[in-house]
Amino acid sequence: MEVVRVEGLGKTYPSGTKALEGVSFSIERGQIFCLLGRNGAGKTTLLRILATQLKPTAGRAFVLGHDVLQDPKAIRPHIAVVPQEARPQMMLSPYDHILYFCLIRGRSRADARERTRKVMDDLGLWEHRDKLASDLSGGLRQRLIIAMALVADPEVLFLDEPTIGLDPLGRRSVWHMLRELTRKGATILLTTHYLDEAEMLADDLLIVDKGRTAFLGTVEAAKGDTGVGMRVIVEPPAGNGTGPPEVLEPRSAEEVLAIVERGLREKRKVTFKPASLEEAFIKIVGGSIEVEDT
Amino acid sequence: MLLVVISLFSFLPVIFIFVFADQKSAMQSLVGAIVLTFSFTGLFASQSVYFNKQWFRFQDMLVASKVSPASYAVGLSVSGLVVALPGVLVALVLLLLSGPAPAFGILVALATSLLLWIGLVFVGFAIGATTKNARRANSIPQVLSIALGFLPPVYYPLSKLDAYPAAQAFAMLIPTTHAAQLAKYYFGLVDIPGWQVALGWAYLLGFAALMGFLASRRAHWVDP
Repeated sequence: MEVVRVEGLGKTYPSGTKALEGVSFSIERGQIFCLLGRNGAGKTTLLRILATQLKPTAGRAFVLGHDVLQDPKAIRPHIAVVPQEARPQMMLSPYDHILYFCLIRGRSRADARERTRKVMDDLGLWEHRDKLASDLSGGLRQRLIIAMALVADPEVLFLDEPTIGLDPLGRRSVWHMLRELTRKGATILLTTHYLDEAEMLADDLLIVDKGRTAFLGTVEAAKGDTGVGMRVIVEPPAGNGTGPPEVLEPRSAEEVLAIVERGLREKRKVTFKPASLEEAFIKIVGGSIEVEDT
Repeated sequence: MLLVVISLFSFLPVIFIFVFADQKSAMQSLVGAIVLTFSFTGLFASQSVYFNKQWFRFQDMLVASKVSPASYAVGLSVSGLVVALPGVLVALVLLLLSGPAPAFGILVALATSLLLWIGLVFVGFAIGATTKNARRANSIPQVLSIALGFLPPVYYPLSKLDAYPAAQAFAMLIPTTHAAQLAKYYFGLVDIPGWQVALGWAYLLGFAALMGFLASRRAHWVDP
């Protein structure tokens, strides 16, 4: 079942800046859909339009069958958002943050307490429940913000760079939680600059560049479409100086076999390296992700 | 506790008036302080709105929920009002100790303050939701608080401006003047003609409605 449908979406800000142009895609229920792009590519604009926080200026977008422009009130009770660079109130405890956001969602006090406990347990926040947010580490604060969104138990979850500032274990616990949510039927749209995160999570991904669709499809298709396949690294022969290794990109099994045979014959070490999404991404947008665009 | 102490700031001028003027003027200034306490909690909701939108980003999280912009703005302002209530109660007790005031009068006086508060909640929401600059979010309500609170005849009686008809006419354009005049009237501290009472209520109702309309048109709950 289609949960999100976007048709020729465009956004030009009142200042005249064109942030999105002709973007179209759809997301099925239970999918994790990743938005990738350089800084200023239009990812946050797209996410905010779908989360009914920003009005599009062209095209149409539907979430759970409702038009984001015509019927946002029908969408809002069923979604939750983790905004980019959100921060907790420093003089409030994590427990109170999450409980209040749960109450705002219309749950009874008893139900809200139970749900708060569950989400805090899942995200490893329970032991920090009574601390002030100002006493939490950056990673715990980010986990708290995510918990404030997850406590809504939304059908569609929008996350704008949710794992920024998290340590590797924290990131993995968020990934695990997102996967759990999708197993229960939730649909997730997330933007990220961590390409390993997209590679790990994305059922489908959209790469936007200068507001336009640069790629739409699966991670494997991204690698395939850009010709980024497996890489074979052939080290220099032993005792033959320290020359650079050969990096080859075989196109067929026969080519792989030929390289291996040559390595054996010349007594050279041969290693295989799977293509990464980062390489595909760089090919698609034509530069490093760290390069500022706007 | 600190917030409660800060909320008492609107009562500071009362002390000066009590020291340097007569008791009747001090009582009028106490009524003015009650009116302004309500006004300022509405107006200064702009700071909470600004920080929740631009700094904490909570507004984005709240937009994506059942919360309506009106309930959000009123909720933020009510939280400020709760903190300010101890000061209002102290002022009411002092007024009652200074002389008899009818219960109906007290209720109606508080109603005028509430009506003004509603209008200024909308103003505060519009300021907080449209500005992207922290300095502006802080300074605009401060400047407005001088224009609405300290310059017009809120602490002091409108009759003080009798010698300056232009200033008096200008003061009548300011909503806090009307709220303060009505509150003082219902507390039995001033005597004003019936038409001025009717004008005061009409002005406050119109002000709240107009500010509500402007806020709904201009304030950014959903960004354009």
